Amino acid sequence: MKTQTYTLNLGPQHPSTHGVLRVVLELDGETCVGSKTHVGYLHRGIEKILEDRTYPQVIPYTDRLDYLAGINNNLVYVQTMEKMMNIEIPERAEYIRVMLAELMRIASHMVGIGIYIMDLGAISAVFYPFIEREKILDMMAHLSGSRMTFNYMRIGGLAHDIHSDFKPELDKFIVEFPRFIEDYHRLIDDNEIFIARTKNVGTITAEKAKSYGLTGPNLRACGVKHDIRKTNPYGIYNRFDFEVPVGEIGDCYDRYVVRMKEVEESFKIIQQAYKELPDGPVMAKVPKLIKPPIGDVYHQTENPKGVLGCYVVSDGTPKPSRVHFRRPSFNNISIFDEIFIGHKIADIIAILASFDFVLGEVDA
Amino acid sequence: MYGKGLLKGLSVTGRNVFRKRLTEKYPEEKPQLAARWRGGFQLDVNECIACSLCEKACPNSAIKLTTEKNEENKKQLASYELNQSYCLFCGLCVEACPKKCLRFTREFETATYHKEEVKLDLFKNQNLSASASIYAQPEKATEAARKEEK
Ligand code: SF4
Ligand code: SF4
Repeated sequence: MKTQTYTLNLGPQHPSTHGVLRVVLELDGETCVGSKTHVGYLHRGIEKILEDRTYPQVIPYTDRLDYLAGINNNLVYVQTMEKMMNIEIPERAEYIRVMLAELMRIASHMVGIGIYIMDLGAISAVFYPFIEREKILDMMAHLSGSRMTFNYMRIGGLAHDIHSDFKPELDKFIVEFPRFIEDYHRLIDDNEIFIARTKNVGTITAEKAKSYGLTGPNLRACGVKHDIRKTNPYGIYNRFDFEVPVGEIGDCYDRYVVRMKEVEESFKIIQQAYKELPDGPVMAKVPKLIKPPIGDVYHQTENPKGVLGCYVVSDGTPKPSRVHFRRPSFNNISIFDEIFIGHKIADIIAILASFDFVLGEVDA
Repeated sequence: MYGKGLLKGLSVTGRNVFRKRLTEKYPEEKPQLAARWRGGFQLDVNECIACSLCEKACPNSAIKLTTEKNEENKKQLASYELNQSYCLFCGLCVEACPKKCLRFTREFETATYHKEEVKLDLFKNQNLSASASIYAQPEKATEAARKEEK
């Protein structure tokens, strides 16, 4: 019998491409024989816009890169600027920054895990993580007045000190969260359907992951112990005690396991930072008009999705000459075209979901 | 035994059936928004000194204001328009205001029927009746607001 392959467009409007990613698949029956990923449907030209903004005005735009973890994007930019201008920030601000960055890491992983498992067909498994995320977003609203686009960090510290409504909610979260982790492991870890859909699916070797520039949980799932918080600590991360969890074979199941373990480590850091939270100001003395010296600085931090880098070029004026972000999701999805080949469509959905990428960050 | 993991998971779901409902019964019950909520805007025109710092702080040029000289040759506000369709709700304008007369409100149902209504004319409609947010307001004012709420 004569057969032929056919082309299938997965996305850009498809719920399991998590936004507007378009993958053109060449299929032989159900099996993928060729794939081409297209990006750019959410391109807003943020880096170009930033050339016409003053240095403090850049911060609200960073929230809109990885919109599931806005605080972490604020952090990389303000730390880059502090490096450029040699600003020491107050201890209290450092501790609050770490606490918030880790809270947002949990919130982001809650979406990552929840949506992942929903894409595999389990509906109730998305609601439990979202309940926990909701608590974190409410806490953030008490601090910054907004639930997703915070604009909370400033060059030299924070916009305001924490609000009195924040602490009781954090106390409650610290009590309730371990219970959620325990429940979720019971719900998912041994689930036969989940295991059948994810074990040995989308396996990536450590060499291949490194050659494609994968970072974050997707890289660690392949067994590479690489976390900027440990290898090149920024801020005050060297003061905290935490592990860097790694996976074994880099399949979809490992990516789930690594994220769950990471959430627990983040929870440990939050507890330590909260216990040691010092009193004092949250803003250093910074000139009203920010005019950094001529030069360029690169700085990177560990975002929930991977290594987020920020490169700023200053020409001595109040506006940056160039701002560039190394967005982890963009590098992470570059491996798709290679690993999709040989998989069935249902497996491709599982791989897409397990990568937890955000299109706001891919296209910028 | 095959299916043991499924049953274990179902027991979690079963336990959650008897949990307290978390869904808010909106719109019958209105949510309690944070004190620093960044919803709408209000402007106390009598306090404003027409310094246009808010206009300069805005990253997206959402604010357009004009000034005029009064009889005593002092600068005063002649018009004030905030185009919310360009607004990022970042709060930089509110933080920049030296008189703290430009404030956020805790409104959240801000959808409108007509696109003209998206532009706020804060000179004509100061919107002072809306519940003010304490975002970037001085400590004293926020304490007073908190007491009032209690
Ligand atoms: S909130 Fe931000 S974007 Fe909106 S008017 Fe104020 S400064 Fe401009
Ligand atoms: S910054 Fe405040 S005082 Fe100055 S023009 Fe704007 S609203 Fe008026």
